[in-house]
Amino acid sequence: MEFSALLNSYPGSYIVQSFSHSVVAAFVVEIAIKAWGIRNPTVRQRFLLVIIVFPIFSYPVYQIINPQRSSISFRLNALLDSSRWLDMELWGVVPVRYGFFLVFFLTAVIFFFQELVPILRHTYASRGSEISGERAEEHPGIAQALKDLPVEKTDIYVLEDDDVVLFSTTGRKGSIYLSSGLLGILDREQVRAAVAHEFAHVIRSRRPFLVILFLLRILMFYNPVVLMEFRRIVQEDEKICDDFAVSLTRNPLALADALRTLYVTEEEERPGRPKNIMNEMEDLETYSHRLNILGRIARLEKGTANTGDKGWFAIVLTLGVVFVMNYFIV
Amino acid sequence: MREKLLGFFAFSAGVGILVLGLRFFNWLPLMVQVDSLREYQDVEEVKAALPIETIFAPSYFPQNLSWPPSRILAQGRPFPAVVMEFEKTAGKDIMLLISQSTSEEFLPEEKIKIIDVIESVSYPVKGRNALLRVGVCQRNEPCSGITWKEGQYTIHVLAKSTPFELIKIAESMLR
Repeated sequence: MEFSALLNSYPGSYIVQSFSHSVVAAFVVEIAIKAWGIRNPTVRQRFLLVIIVFPIFSYPVYQIINPQRSSISFRLNALLDSSRWLDMELWGVVPVRYGFFLVFFLTAVIFFFQELVPILRHTYASRGSEISGERAEEHPGIAQALKDLPVEKTDIYVLEDDDVVLFSTTGRKGSIYLSSGLLGILDREQVRAAVAHEFAHVIRSRRPFLVILFLLRILMFYNPVVLMEFRRIVQEDEKICDDFAVSLTRNPLALADALRTLYVTEEEERPGRPKNIMNEMEDLETYSHRLNILGRIARLEKGTANTGDKGWFAIVLTLGVVFVMNYFIV
Repeated sequence: MREKLLGFFAFSAGVGILVLGLRFFNWLPLMVQVDSLREYQDVEEVKAALPIETIFAPSYFPQNLSWPPSRILAQGRPFPAVVMEFEKTAGKDIMLLISQSTSEEFLPEEKIKIIDVIESVSYPVKGRNALLRVGVCQRNEPCSGITWKEGQYTIHVLAKSTPFELIKIAESMLR
């Protein structure tokens, strides 16, 4: 089978069009977020969901509505015909379509090693091993710090470890773990804020929503736009948990200080470190993580928590525009 | 309410700019690659623009069809292909569709599509082994199609007519 024929087949068209549709959806969603000045992370997450979920169904739905949508006549009058780009040959030699498929392949590799493998490993590790620690109620310092916090249905453990450790396990029986090293660098209010944030993760992980979203996201494993937008959704989830923690502690500055103490370290000069692509990528990831933390700190300090309406009008309108525009993108 | 309205205008303007951007993005490959699929005014224009030396056109033409073709589409890449559509003399219905392409997969039959094939037989067209299909198109109209290889090209002729008329048209395309 010729490569161009493969692209015109149903699976080929699905891959190409789901990518194009997610690009357009990302633009429209970004325009909507800017136009209505949406800052509420829950509402922003709903908008970003459009970019992940819409391209999964768009191509088959459009083909049911109009089976002639892939025809030459339709393509000639389309808003954007992707085959024009895919059929292009750079300098008359290198087909552009190979570049597209290289991007899809690299995205699939990144998804596999950075998302799927760590999640599977985490699931396997948390099933197979028991982490032992002192229960928070039995720890005098922690019990005092967590007094009044409504976290009684979640197990909280203190690990005897000088390293700074703070994490939660997800699932129906989620638990929170913190280390004695962490208790040494955070004050009482900051510990309260940090535990409340982890408690929010535990509560949210009990809902099947995130699991369903991740399963849907797996279907778009090759799509670089979905890869980026899914990470933004995860970042928005951190902000939602920040807001939840603040609603429990009523002390946004304590959480901001905890974040600063835990994650914002002075940038280290590492002399003699070889300059290669792996190190550059690692530096870029650290830099982007740092920016994200600084953004959360600034947000907590400004006090721009959940404000504004639920944005349903804007979401419905955005979804409508995404649906109509993408119909003419083949 | 005022904020919502302002947001709506900003959103509309943003979407408008996006549409213009997409139009530009759709037009750009046509400028960069002159031999991608596009519409041409006549056969001579195709010959001048693309490295397609022979364009198979019929010399026999039923009276109910209008000449020249109502639309000619052609491309040089990813493979050479020409499509000619012919309308009814009185009306805008596409009655005849001729395509030639070096790809065997290329069959632009959306305008005339045999939905229900009643008979499919081998038929010799001036010494070439052709496949003749007779059946029914959209709106239950009788139609027929014939396909054969001519050198490097695969030729499809589809018509909303009887197979006899179609064979006459196909034979007139060959010497």
